[in-house]
Formats: sequence, C-alpha cells, structure tokens
Amino acid sequence: MFGYDIKKATVSDLHKGLKNKDFSALELAKAYLSRAKELQPKLSAFITLCEESALEDAKKADERIYKGEGTLLTGIPLGIKDNICTEGVRTTCASKMLEDFIPPYSATAAERLKAQNVVLLGKTNLDEFAMGSTSETSFFGGVRNPYDESRVAGGSSGGSAAAVAAGLCPVALGSDTGGSIRQPAAFCGVTGIKPTYGTVSRYGLVAFASSLDQIGPIGRNAEDCAFLLNAIAGADALDATCSTLPRPDYTSKLGKSINQYVVGVPSEFFGDNISDEVKCAVHQAAKELEKLGCTVKTVSLPSLKYAVAAYYLLSSAEAASNLSRYDGIKYGHRNTDGVTYEEQLCRTRSEGFGWEVKRRIMLGNYALSSGYYEAYYKKATQIRAKLRTEFEELFKGCDMLLTPTAPTTAYSMGKAEPNPVATYSADICTVTANISGLPAISTTCGYDSKGLPIGMSLIGRAFDEATILSVADRFEQTFERKEAAI
Amino acid sequence: MFDTKLAAHLATLSKLEFTKEELERITEEMDSIVALMDTVSDFTETNGQERAVLVSLSELRDDAPIPSMERETALANAKNKSETFFKVPKVV
Repeated sequence: MFGYDIKKATVSDLHKGLKNKDFSALELAKAYLSRAKELQPKLSAFITLCEESALEDAKKADERIYKGEGTLLTGIPLGIKDNICTEGVRTTCASKMLEDFIPPYSATAAERLKAQNVVLLGKTNLDEFAMGSTSETSFFGGVRNPYDESRVAGGSSGGSAAAVAAGLCPVALGSDTGGSIRQPAAFCGVTGIKPTYGTVSRYGLVAFASSLDQIGPIGRNAEDCAFLLNAIAGADALDATCSTLPRPDYTSKLGKSINQYVVGVPSEFFGDNISDEVKCAVHQAAKELEKLGCTVKTVSLPSLKYAVAAYYLLSSAEAASNLSRYDGIKYGHRNTDGVTYEEQLCRTRSEGFGWEVKRRIMLGNYALSSGYYEAYYKKATQIRAKLRTEFEELFKGCDMLLTPTAPTTAYSMGKAEPNPVATYSADICTVTANISGLPAISTTCGYDSKGLPIGMSLIGRAFDEATILSVADRFEQTFERKEAAI
Repeated sequence: MFDTKLAAHLATLSKLEFTKEELERITEEMDSIVALMDTVSDFTETNGQERAVLVSLSELRDDAPIPSMERETALANAKNKSETFFKVPKVV
C-alpha cells in the first residue's frame, strides 16, 4: 500500500505520499498503530496508545489535506513523551503519583503540533519524572532497545527514541534536562536535538529542573528534527523563560555547504571513562567532517570535570522544589490511611514516588539546606557561570564542538539502579549543554562490535540550531545507518 | 559523612517516610552520591561571577484579570473534593 517500509519512512516520505494521495492519513495511522500494538509487549515504548483519538486526528488531517490546506506535518503520526501535558489524554510522567492524571490543558508544543493536524499515536514511556538515563525507573516498566531487547533504550526519553527507531512513529517529542533526548537517541540509533534553553516553551512540560528543561524532537534524521523544531519553537506568553527572539527556519541551512565551519573537539571528552569503541567512532566522524570540508581542531574545556556534580546539584535542588507540589490534594495519588495532614502528605509522597525520584529530592534538599548550601548549591551555580564563560571563549574560534553523546553504548537492563554514582557519572558527555543552555544534537556515527549504535553530539552556539542541524544532516548523507532488526 | 541522622532530617524536609531498612539503604547511597558531589569542593571561583543570567525574562503582561480555569476543571483530578473545594485532613 505504501510502496516502502513505514519502519524507515521519514516525514518527507510520508508528506509526499499523503500529498500524492498514495495513501490517506487514516490508512497511515492504522498502519503505525498496528505496528505499535504488535511491538508494545516487547519494547514498552508507550504508556498510553491513543487508538480511538488517533483515528479521529487522522480523519481531520485527511479533510485538511483534501482541501489542499495541509502542511508538512499534517497527517504525520507522532509520539509525545508522557511528561508533556496533552489535554484530555492521560499524562503520567511514568509515575504512580500521576497514574490517572488527565491534564486540563495541553503543552504549548503539543498545541502547536495539533494546530497542524498531526496524529497523536500515543504518550511515550520515560524514566519517572524524567529522572534517569535508562527509562527503567518507569512505574509502567522499562523501555527496551530495538537493537537488542535485553538492553536499555536510554533515558529519560527512551520511549520516544525506541518508538522512532522501531518504526512505531516517524517522529516524537522528548524532553532534555541532562541529556534525556540525546542519550536515548544515541542508544537507539536515531537523531535528537536539545534546543537552546528558551527556544521551545516549557508551558505544559511537567517541571523537573526549570532552568535546564527543554522539549525537543527525536526523528530518523536531522531534517525531520528540523521540521518538528520549526513547528514547536517560538515565543510563548505562557512561559516567561521562552525567548522572544525571532526564530529562524531551522531547515534553512540544510543541503548547503558546511566547509566554512570550524569544529572543535574538546580533549576532556575523550578520557579513560569513554569506551575505546566510542572514542574510535567519534574520531572517525571527525575525519569524515574534515573530508566534508570542515576544519577540525582540538580544543579544551577545563571545567568539564566539575560538570556532573554541578548538574546533579542544580537539577536535584530544582527538582526538590518542583516536586513539592505533589501532595495528593489537587491531583495525583493520595494516601487514605494517614490521620493528620502531615501523615497523609508524607505517605502520599512516599507511596507515589519511586526510589530514584526520592533519591533526587533528598539530594536536592541536602544541597539547599542550611549548612550545606554554600558548599554545594552555590558552588554549582559558580561552576555553571564558569562553564558558560569557557564555552563563549571556545566559540570565538569554533562554530561547534564535537563530542561523544555517551561514554558507552546501551547497557544491559538492571545494571544502572544498583550503582547510581556510575550511572550519574555517565552523563558527563551531555550535561554541559544543559548547564550552559546551548543547543546540542546527537546523531549516529557508528556501531560497536555487538551492533549497538554509537552517537556523536554537536554542541552549537546559543540559538544556532540551524548550523548544527545542517552539519548533522550533511554527515548523515554519507553515513550508512543500520536499521534495528525488530 | 552522610549518616542516618542526616538522612532522617532530610526526609523530614522532603516530606518523605522511609522504613528502617529504606533509611539505611538511602543513607548508604547518599553517602556515595555526596562523595561524587564533593568534586565541586576543588572548584575555586576566581572572578566574582556567581551565577550567569541564562535568558532574560520575557515581558510581563498587563496586570489585568483574564479567564483562568473553570472550577469544575480544576477539581476534576482531585481524589477528595466537594462541589466547590478540595478536602484535606483537619490541620487546626
């Protein structure tokens, strides 16, 4: 019916097919829903599949297309990470605390996509409250990697990345606070971009760390990410931290020459903590970028060694504050056997939150508490300022920085939880972009000896997503991707 | 050193309850996590810059009332409510 495997279809492919009436949005939605349902027991990529409403969305998309009023994204099926509010559609944050929460409003990013008549296939699985890098902490069960079902999909946007990699939807929305779009994109062999802080409205994104969170797209390639970013980016009166700067067309540099760009490779990102296979793949990618015309040079980011600690102090402190709202009164899980208000409150939270969330709340309150604030939280804010200064210096001589996205490829399920320090330390490659607010994209640059994807990241100047998208896109034209066999 | 007394204090601040076994577990884990956080102690701030302004806040809207949320909508997700308000255990 479609003439090609929907598992490999991009937004461009599908848009062409819809426009040419090779198939309808309804037929497309049914095909993706069928595949999503078939693979749900294996991957757990979704928390909620919106079967009925997806078909209604598709019918509305078809009406618009037949009138000749469709946009690029009209009729395109997508998944939305389940920490992004969707009015009338359960939004759980993968937590018992919000197991039956139905938002009374939609996130701005979701509304903007709905305005183009995309088809919401379902809400994708994640680490609970976006805290984690494996998607195993989900109350609804962990997400499995389409390349190897015994391994994690990464996190926290593991469901979105796995869904795109397995061809359950061509694009998805994720969120990124410390690497949660880029790392699962790397583990699942797809492309994901964390925009500059302030590019996409956070209204309706359930808050984890308000100075770090950003919604961003995950797709099969950089071009699809650019299409989605065009749709969701822009000023929003409902989010005071959303920049009012005019947004460019994020596709404007795609297909253009990249040989004017200087790519810096910070040596500190290639230490002993990075696996040899990852280092080799990223160095190979650097050579490929040189062949494509870029100038590649070694640079230094000396404060990288403080980044993980600073990130966890800042993000946990903000999370401890943000998650104070979960008291069981206005929404969410509520304990029923507590007698006093205090009892009910503490039991509600203890019953509703999983272990990793509790750990982060404890760490956050530790960092903020009397006697520790100066040594921890205040220090972390100073490190943040220092890292921003170091990046500004680097960008005087480079247009972007090339780093691994993660120290290793996807690990086996069950490895992360018993060893939180090792798991936190593995965020070393991603957290600096969040701390400094800079845009960063991950795309696949290799496969390890087991066939697991390896991701490379390009970190760009603030609000210069178009440049890193164009370089990632150009790299993807020459790189031969291997599909997940699932 | 992170001990159970500190863990219990933080649990109170966090409005969390732990069993005895859970408290021991979280104490052990927090001890190793705090050791990782202690990396920041080596950092010396040199130029008086404490925190960077990431993005300036957008303009505020006029201080004029606009439609908010219908009462029924606001109450829809509550587990214990009347027709007009959220019900809570007695606090006074």
